[in-house]
Amino acid sequence: MENLKTSKALKIISYILIPILVAIIGLSIFHLAFLNEYGSVKEKRYEETEMFASDYLYFIMDQISLCYQEENNYDSYFMIVEDNNGNRYKYSNHNYGYSMHNGIGAYIDYIIIDKSTNEIYTNIRTNDYQKEIENIKSLGNFWNYIDGNIDTDINYINQDNIIYNSVYQYASSDDEGTYIVNKNISGYDIYSRYNESKVNQLTNFQLAKQMYNFALNNQQLPIYLLPISTIILLVISIYLLWSIGHEKGKDGISLSSIDNIPYEILLIFAFLFITIFLTILIQVLNFANYILLIFGCVLYVFCYLICAIVGVTTIKRIKAKRFFKSFLLYSIWKWIKNKCKNIEKVIETKIDNKKIFWYYWGYVLISIILAGFFYTGFAIIALIVFWIWIYYKIKQYIKKQEDIKEALKNIYNGKNNVHVNEEELQGILKEMAIYVNDISGGFSNAIEESLKSERLKTELITNVSHDIKTPLTSIINYVDLLKKENIENEKVKEYIDILDKKSQRLKKLTEDLVEASKASSGNVKLNIEEINIKELINQTIGEFKDKFEEKGLTIETTMPEQELVIKADNRYIYRIIENLFSNITKYAQENSRVYIDIEKNKESKVKISIKNISKEKLNISSDELMQRFVRGDKSRYTEGSGLGLSIAKSLTELQKGKFDIKIDGDLFRVDMEW
Amino acid sequence: MYNILVVDDDKEIVGAIEIYLKKEGYNIIKAYNGNEAIQKIKENEDNIHLIILDIMMPEKDGLETLEEIRKTNGVPVILLSAKSEDYDKIGGLNLGADDYITKPFNPLELIARVNSSIRRYVKLGAIENKDDEKLYQTGDLIINDDTKKVIVDGKEVKLTGTEFNILKFLLQNKGKVYSIPEIYENVWKEEGFGAENIIAVHIRHIREKIEINPKEPKYLKVIWGVGYKIEEI
Repeated sequence: MENLKTSKALKIISYILIPILVAIIGLSIFHLAFLNEYGSVKEKRYEETEMFASDYLYFIMDQISLCYQEENNYDSYFMIVEDNNGNRYKYSNHNYGYSMHNGIGAYIDYIIIDKSTNEIYTNIRTNDYQKEIENIKSLGNFWNYIDGNIDTDINYINQDNIIYNSVYQYASSDDEGTYIVNKNISGYDIYSRYNESKVNQLTNFQLAKQMYNFALNNQQLPIYLLPISTIILLVISIYLLWSIGHEKGKDGISLSSIDNIPYEILLIFAFLFITIFLTILIQVLNFANYILLIFGCVLYVFCYLICAIVGVTTIKRIKAKRFFKSFLLYSIWKWIKNKCKNIEKVIETKIDNKKIFWYYWGYVLISIILAGFFYTGFAIIALIVFWIWIYYKIKQYIKKQEDIKEALKNIYNGKNNVHVNEEELQGILKEMAIYVNDISGGFSNAIEESLKSERLKTELITNVSHDIKTPLTSIINYVDLLKKENIENEKVKEYIDILDKKSQRLKKLTEDLVEASKASSGNVKLNIEEINIKELINQTIGEFKDKFEEKGLTIETTMPEQELVIKADNRYIYRIIENLFSNITKYAQENSRVYIDIEKNKESKVKISIKNISKEKLNISSDELMQRFVRGDKSRYTEGSGLGLSIAKSLTELQKGKFDIKIDGDLFRVDMEW
Repeated sequence: MYNILVVDDDKEIVGAIEIYLKKEGYNIIKAYNGNEAIQKIKENEDNIHLIILDIMMPEKDGLETLEEIRKTNGVPVILLSAKSEDYDKIGGLNLGADDYITKPFNPLELIARVNSSIRRYVKLGAIENKDDEKLYQTGDLIINDDTKKVIVDGKEVKLTGTEFNILKFLLQNKGKVYSIPEIYENVWKEEGFGAENIIAVHIRHIREKIEINPKEPKYLKVIWGVGYKIEEI
């Protein structure tokens, strides 16, 4: 396939075949049309055709017109000759008749007698014209017109209407001529005969006769030739359309220098040459002989070559997707566009944003005044288009500024990875964009750095906690063993108790520390799924019920009937609620009520609020409470690590929730939202 | 007399474990690093019934030691580690450990787990299965619907009637998760309003009775925000 596509030989053969095929198709169509007109009577001789008759009569009429002109001294074609009997007649062997009427004149002998003047016009050089007149009839193939009667043995011309038709047709070229010729044809006696052997050289007439005979003898030819050559031409055309531009060893479309000539220029030259060639060709066809025919063929080939060059380059250009680009107009358009761009750049760098509309309206005003001076319709339209264009450009400019402003706003709001596309901008705007991007990049880097250091901190804390846990295990175990020893000394017992409590607290502290650092650095793998929050709260209450009852705490829950589903990691949601409940068991006023309210708010978010009364006075802000290691004043000295709220807040935010603490006197309230 | 190999580079921890387990009547073999542990196993051949293995040890760590042990020996291994992350536990269990205890550990929990592992290993307490008795089982948790007895790791556990019914229902449908209202409907055969956290309390009580560590249950799992299920073992 690829070989077929790149084969040079195949292409050359195709190029050679095309003109031949076109010629065959053209001639075949001509042949068919001819047969359609003349092919009805088979084996009819050329001399019996209407064509022949018409040519014959035209020629005769021509001669009469010449005679007429001679008589009226319009022009002179004839020379006066005297025969042996002393009779004078007018002789002419001019070539006029060779080209006109298919050149039939060369084969016709005539003697025309003007009855009013008895002048004799002839193209026969003879010693006795009287004898010639008699001879004409006896030699055969004659056509005589004597005293208004036709006497002929040429079958087809023996019809009056043809004569008058012909006369009329001939005369119709000139209004005056119609009258004269019509009037005068009856004033002439015509003796003429068709003499085939008169001329030996090839004439148009001979050519026409040969073509006629060929056409008659080969009536089947075009019926085969036309479809076959059409199909071959089609196949070749498709092949060329497909393969043109592909060369061996080269990818894509190979272009030559012709393909770079602007397309319109190529077309103009091609049109010019073809017009010249065709004009010559048509002229040549009027003078038919073999040499001229060869010359015509050469011209035809030239025309074809031009068409082929234009065609090939057109296909190549379309294939290489540069058809429109190869137009001169396109280059001009591009040049203008570039110039406009440059002007735009200058405008964008120089003009101050605030004044830009003043400039605009000033420009509109001046242009209106100028348009008033040079008023034309086109100028007005051009101006309006130009105004709209400039207005649009200014809008665009301001839009770009808005983009930069938007980016700055995003940075201000703490958004990450803000970026303005600098490439589309010029001048001041570009500089601004670059600075904005720099600042944004700096922010992103800082955030990344802090995330990284948080991660490192978490790792450090995790490792340290592992190291703490090993000795802690021994401490806890041996304190436990000590407790089980039989000790009488009450003080020692008390000391062991303190050791027990503190070692347990240390244990909790190390565990919470790891969790807090992970939660706050986001170093937690979340497994988000749908959670029924009502179920979860009930489950958690179940876990803590005994502990609440120990402290005399009553739980009051308010939940809607409907199912409330949030998307979160259920283990971490449990950890949050667990931390909060654990805090309540530690810090809530004993024998009080704890309120747990769950509802779906207007934004269809699930809101959980937990309220309780603090045992101790809460002389601390809610923000401080949520910070790590900070607890409400005296509670510092009780159990727990002080990390519970911080972990709860971090975990809530990691799961895209909101966590808020409100303190109102002794009322401690946690609001969560998902 | 069952022999327990305790491996930890911290001698004091090994000492404390020895004290606890000796009280329970076990014979303790001590080792202070991985290589020593492997040597001790070779010396005692098949006479070791349980290994308590620390993970973070110098030279050969606990996991490497475990891998080597598992090439030749199926003895139960309890991993002991300060690493408390889920993936540490899963990694250890996947290597062939039978249990995982985090440091610092509760001595009672350690004892309970050791007892459980030993019982399971020596098939002690495997109850006879009479055909006509209605038994439900998962792992070493068995309940007998005829005698209303609950046996965990071969030991009988006393449950209240309600607790027994809940456990029976979950065990009958082991592997499936039930929410509190579903449990209520299925056990009480009526719709329950306001009884939600009572069920939760019952389930915690069941867990406290049948699980060694109720916060990390083996049989009665809590899926927060979804419900409860009995693990299919």
